[in-house]
Amino acid sequence: MADPILSLSDVTLTLDGNAGPVEILHGISLDVTPGETLGLVGPSGSGKSSLLMLMGGLERATSGRVLALDRDLTAMNEDQLARFRREHMGVVFQSFHLIPTMTALENVATPLELAGHRDAFERAADELRTVGLGARMDHYPSQMSGGEQQRVALARAAAPRPHLLLADEPTGNLDGANGAAIMDLLFGLRDRHGATLVLVTHAPDLAARCDRVIELADGRIAGQTARRAAE
Amino acid sequence: MSLPVAARIARRELRGGLRGFYVFLACLALGVAAIAAVGSVRESIESGLTREGAVLLGGDAEMTLTYRFASDEERAWMEGVSDALSEVVDFRSMVAVVRDGETERGLTQVKAVDDAYPLYGAVALDPPLPLDQAIAGNGAVMERVLADRLGLKPGDSFRLGTADYTLSAVLAREPDGAGDGFGLGPRLILRTAALEPSGLLAPGTLYEVKYRLKLPPGHDIAALEREAGTRFADRGMRWRDARNGAPGMTRFVDRMASFLVLVGLAGLAVGGVGVSAAVRSYIDGKTEVIATLKTLGAEGCTILAAYLMQIGVLAGLGIGLGLVLGAVLPLAAGPLIEPRLPVPADFTVHARPLAEAAVYGVLTALLFTLWPLARTEEVRAAALFRDASGRVRAWPRPRYVAATTGLALLLIGVAAAFSGVPKLALWAAAGILGALGLLVLAAAALRLIARRAARARALRGRTALRLAMGAVGGPGGETQSVVLSLGLGLSILAAIGQIDWNLRSAIQQDLPDRAPSYFVVDIQPGQLDGFLQRLNRDPGVSRVETAPMMRGVITRINGRPAREVAGDHWVVTGDRGVTYAAEPPENTVVTDGLWWPSDYDGPPQISFAREEAEEIGLKLGDEITVNILGRDITATVTSFREVDFSTAGIGFVMTMDPAAVQGAPHTHIATIYADPSAEAAILRDLASAYPNITAIRVKDAIDRVAEVLAGLAAAIAYGASATLVTGVIVLIGAAAAGQRTRIFEAAVLKTVGAVRGQILAYFALRSAMLGAAAGAVAILAGGIAGWAVMRFVMEGSYRFEPVSALAIVLGGALATLIAGLVFAWRPLAARPARVLRARE
Repeated sequence: MADPILSLSDVTLTLDGNAGPVEILHGISLDVTPGETLGLVGPSGSGKSSLLMLMGGLERATSGRVLALDRDLTAMNEDQLARFRREHMGVVFQSFHLIPTMTALENVATPLELAGHRDAFERAADELRTVGLGARMDHYPSQMSGGEQQRVALARAAAPRPHLLLADEPTGNLDGANGAAIMDLLFGLRDRHGATLVLVTHAPDLAARCDRVIELADGRIAGQTARRAAE
Repeated sequence: MSLPVAARIARRELRGGLRGFYVFLACLALGVAAIAAVGSVRESIESGLTREGAVLLGGDAEMTLTYRFASDEERAWMEGVSDALSEVVDFRSMVAVVRDGETERGLTQVKAVDDAYPLYGAVALDPPLPLDQAIAGNGAVMERVLADRLGLKPGDSFRLGTADYTLSAVLAREPDGAGDGFGLGPRLILRTAALEPSGLLAPGTLYEVKYRLKLPPGHDIAALEREAGTRFADRGMRWRDARNGAPGMTRFVDRMASFLVLVGLAGLAVGGVGVSAAVRSYIDGKTEVIATLKTLGAEGCTILAAYLMQIGVLAGLGIGLGLVLGAVLPLAAGPLIEPRLPVPADFTVHARPLAEAAVYGVLTALLFTLWPLARTEEVRAAALFRDASGRVRAWPRPRYVAATTGLALLLIGVAAAFSGVPKLALWAAAGILGALGLLVLAAAALRLIARRAARARALRGRTALRLAMGAVGGPGGETQSVVLSLGLGLSILAAIGQIDWNLRSAIQQDLPDRAPSYFVVDIQPGQLDGFLQRLNRDPGVSRVETAPMMRGVITRINGRPAREVAGDHWVVTGDRGVTYAAEPPENTVVTDGLWWPSDYDGPPQISFAREEAEEIGLKLGDEITVNILGRDITATVTSFREVDFSTAGIGFVMTMDPAAVQGAPHTHIATIYADPSAEAAILRDLASAYPNITAIRVKDAIDRVAEVLAGLAAAIAYGASATLVTGVIVLIGAAAAGQRTRIFEAAVLKTVGAVRGQILAYFALRSAMLGAAAGAVAILAGGIAGWAVMRFVMEGSYRFEPVSALAIVLGGALATLIAGLVFAWRPLAARPARVLRARE
């Protein structure tokens, strides 16, 4: 078995709430192998999105260690994490999180520019064509439907060819048809670029498309199902 | 529509408190406070002027004659109607002091008084002698500035005309000083009887005699004025009374305050932009509430009424706060200001200026909130199910556009009525609207350019710059409100900077180049030849112009009282210089009509200055009656001439044919154009040879005017700074309102790999670009305003002044940069996961 691309050891996450500290994750340990598609499922509040955020360095673990591509995310500062993400990660959110003052093309080109790619806009345009938005490049998010916005977000995440694709309920805000289309695109991009995909979802049919599914409950791993070999 | 329901909804919504409305309240409060404070100070001074009217005037009424004392008949009438009468002679002269063989001279405004002076108030002297004692015999008192200039102290002697006097004390305060108006020289007081040996009141010498009347209790001042008018109007006698003891000062305070109120209104307009942005942002945040209310069956107008009530309550709070500030500030500052004012002031709470400021506040609040409030009608119930905020129309329904236009017109009308100078108010309104229009266009242009630039190949790879361009050019954002609010504040400062610099350079640099060195008055006809001989043989003198001069009052135009025909035009409000000439003087341009033949001896003819004639409405053939030394001369206007008063050279509104004024005692005036190195010797020789003449050094007069101008510019700049403070508050409000968006943007940018330095550079560039754009537009607007004022009001030339302009662009960029950076720390420190998940 290949070395894990992501490795979490005894990770905990405690956040300050109005009524005092709230323990979100308790001693999570797991490995994700390169090229694997991992689904994170569980009821609301089980900690699956928080776990995904820790994997992306978007949240800092209270204790434990998060290794990504052999780099310790817990030891990095904000800027080091940002550089790591632009070189190795793409993140997709349920609410798309496009920058409203940028066109679709500019939103997709931004991570490529940040990574110093001179052909950022050409690559961004190609990526938008791949997700079927070749004709909407100059549109602002407010001029697009939810499905279209999520396709832009997918293109933005995939454009830098990341080793890791993290998706937090990417179809949660979309209707059935749009959701299915987005999932096809997401898995297509993963297949095309050979990235590792970690996916938070409530949808059983989506989870069914993953190589492995981890179920969380109350901030702990409650179960694990391997659908097919990762190789 | 149900108003009770709307009121209940409004009351429930107001439970949310003032959060999000601090900028709204600050903008309204500051604008109203500035207007109320200026109005209160004006009212305090005017009330003081009214209360002290008799003291300032020196009597309950004053009748002024030029060139002559009252006749026995006139005096008898004045004594008959008054309890006491005081005669004051007022003229310009020169004080000379001989020290170590050298003579030093200083211009002075002489006030020669009788035993009855002062009828009201008291003269304060240093050392504190009684006035009677100080000016007994050949004693005199003078203002400290003149005594210091000439190195005189009490007990020293000086010369006035051909007589010697002794300085007994320094004049610390004369009760009627403010009522005398603007004088070029410091005051000197002596007894009229002591003037006899000085030879200064020879026939034709320029002097005024003022008769101050102390009237019996219960007098009817208006009836007395009418009677005096009937008896003496045709004798060149002018009337003033304690109802307006210092008309010059009242007019000055009035104009100044009107101007400052208009500057304050501009501040309120700047605040209006902030008010509008605050309401817009509030209504945007209420989209779901409004949609829910519509789902529950609320009509659009009920919802509009509910939000109008809420904003009305908040506006009332802001206006009330402003009124309290505007009333309290002058009260608190009164004890500090009053001793520095040359006039009395009643610092207390005055209702009228507060009411005016409240009206301005209400109209501005309505004007700037109606448009964003109208958006409530555009929100559909469907907004609950999908994000419909981006689909709200830019323009509200026509009825709101019409109401907004009506409110703007009403505000302009109110400003024109309240300010008392409708023309100035209309020009100011046009200027503010023009600047706002320019700024709206500029904001649109900036967005377009930034949008294009964000997509330009040249910016690819320059991430921070491209992001900044994208943000400035993209939808939403703060481009419009920052450019409008800061731009309008900076435009006013830029306009003041340009006008001030142009005026000062015209007066201090351009005028001295063209103006004569000396302006000499009271040259007796017998002295003229010797006077000219001295100058003509001096190689340092390049040019001398002389003209005979007498003073006259225009009493009638075509047989009707002149004030009835020409109103308050300056040509008919006092005595004016009149000259005569057989032939048109050199460089005279006759624009209309014909000059009389050089040997003309027929009925009197007059040549009138063209511009002033046009303003009064004179035409060729009109008859003008001028009272000179108590004698009426009625002359026919036979020509109009160009007269340029801007060069400080000789210029007369009226020139008569010589026969018309034959025999009238008169003196000559002269302008001397000389090399600066020759000036001192000229003054020494002329003043020694002709002690009665008065030579006014034009550069000194220019300096005096420049001093007054600098004071005015400072006062206006203080007024404008209130506008700028409002602009900065709006700016801070916009930065604070944009913070949530920035936190989100920073989180997304961090997620896709941006480091904090890049995000900070993006925020900084975005802020600085907006500020610099606002500054650049301000320079354009300020330049246009400066040009318009210099060209049309001052009738002078305009030159662009780059230093203050550059400071304004840099200031604008710096202000937005600081505001932007202050509000950038939280976005930079925010953890992406928490920010983004909070928006899920």
